[in-house]
Amino acid sequence: MKPRLNVLWNEIFCKRCVLCVEVCPVGVLSLERDEIVEKPGCIRCYQCERYCPDIAIEVMDEGNRLSS
Amino acid sequence: MIDRSYKDLLKMRRFPHTWCPGCGIGAVLKNVAMGLREMGWDYRNTVIVSGIGCSGRMGGYMNVDAVHTPHGRPLTAAEAIKTVRPDLNVVVLSGDGDLASIGGNHLLHTARRNPDITVFCNDNEIYGLTGGQAGPTTPKGTKTITSPRGEHYQPLRLNRILTTQAPYFYAKTTVYHLNHFKTCIHEALRYKGFSFVDIISDCIELNGRRLGFKTAHQMFKWFDQRFHIVEGVRDHLKDDELGIAMKEADTLPKVKVEVSEKPEVSLKDLKPFSLEELASFDGQDGKPIYIGYQGKVYDLSTSPLFQGEKRMRCHLGGKDLTQEIGIAPHGEELIFKFPIVGRLKE
Repeated sequence: MKPRLNVLWNEIFCKRCVLCVEVCPVGVLSLERDEIVEKPGCIRCYQCERYCPDIAIEVMDEGNRLSS
Repeated sequence: MIDRSYKDLLKMRRFPHTWCPGCGIGAVLKNVAMGLREMGWDYRNTVIVSGIGCSGRMGGYMNVDAVHTPHGRPLTAAEAIKTVRPDLNVVVLSGDGDLASIGGNHLLHTARRNPDITVFCNDNEIYGLTGGQAGPTTPKGTKTITSPRGEHYQPLRLNRILTTQAPYFYAKTTVYHLNHFKTCIHEALRYKGFSFVDIISDCIELNGRRLGFKTAHQMFKWFDQRFHIVEGVRDHLKDDELGIAMKEADTLPKVKVEVSEKPEVSLKDLKPFSLEELASFDGQDGKPIYIGYQGKVYDLSTSPLFQGEKRMRCHLGGKDLTQEIGIAPHGEELIFKFPIVGRLKE
């Protein structure tokens, strides 16, 4: 589980279908060098976690997230 | 904050699962596990039955008892489990090639018998596991590996087949309309009876690429163009509608059976019999068979058990049987259907 700014990304479970990248309404996720990376600006809508078929991405709780 | 306790129902140590990137079966597995968790069902009271195909692997990833059946037979196994153990919740996770094609006959007749099982059909409109051949639910004109100029035939419309005979529960949804999908799962698990959820899913690697889609999300947008959600519970669903079609059983008017009371006959008006006279009517030499019971004499000649011989099991004709019937395993109501012909003398 690799932490990003607001999401935890599981690189073993992830199959790089980029569904989370395309479903994100503000477009903060992207696939760069075969890794999911996150830009600041997440609105915590949980769409990436809800749509991920591989249970590979999780939005962190409010207290755990890194300060951007 | 999402409730992530559904992960207890999944074998997380087997992950990542073997389906292609972007496949909709992962979403079906996850949301069905969420639905089971909402209902409070777990390994103690739930059995998953799965068939053959990509979607048949769903049973292996659930952390409950699962049966992996031969091709097309998950419904028969599920109905048998439900018949033998009615306390178990039986959920069938399978695909359209398994349920509608080779198991189509079982689908019709399980729906007719209406057992209390819930079926989640991962309908990707293709034979996914074997490489993307045209299946029974492939829409007309779709290019597949076996129909490169477009599928010739009309698809099998499950929304029409399964909503012909009440009672039925049929829900159609897609993996893209997630809230509607979760509502359908919840309603189907709560419904008592045969409930079928037709989940339009994406097979991006073997179907979507040939249709010209680059990612799974483009295929989701295509679902959004093809289908629209209808609110409420309908009687029937059209081909482009997503929703719940449900109907209770047609109640036939009950036929009332008029029971006419037998008129009470006073004992004094009847012909008196002494025990000696009664003993002569034992069925021999063409005579009728009379027995005495509680002071009355009944004519048992029409009894099929008394024909031909004077003995009916352990009772003899021509006798007062009040005590014998008192200790017999059957009650006295067997005698009352025979006519009264007289009374016994004191």
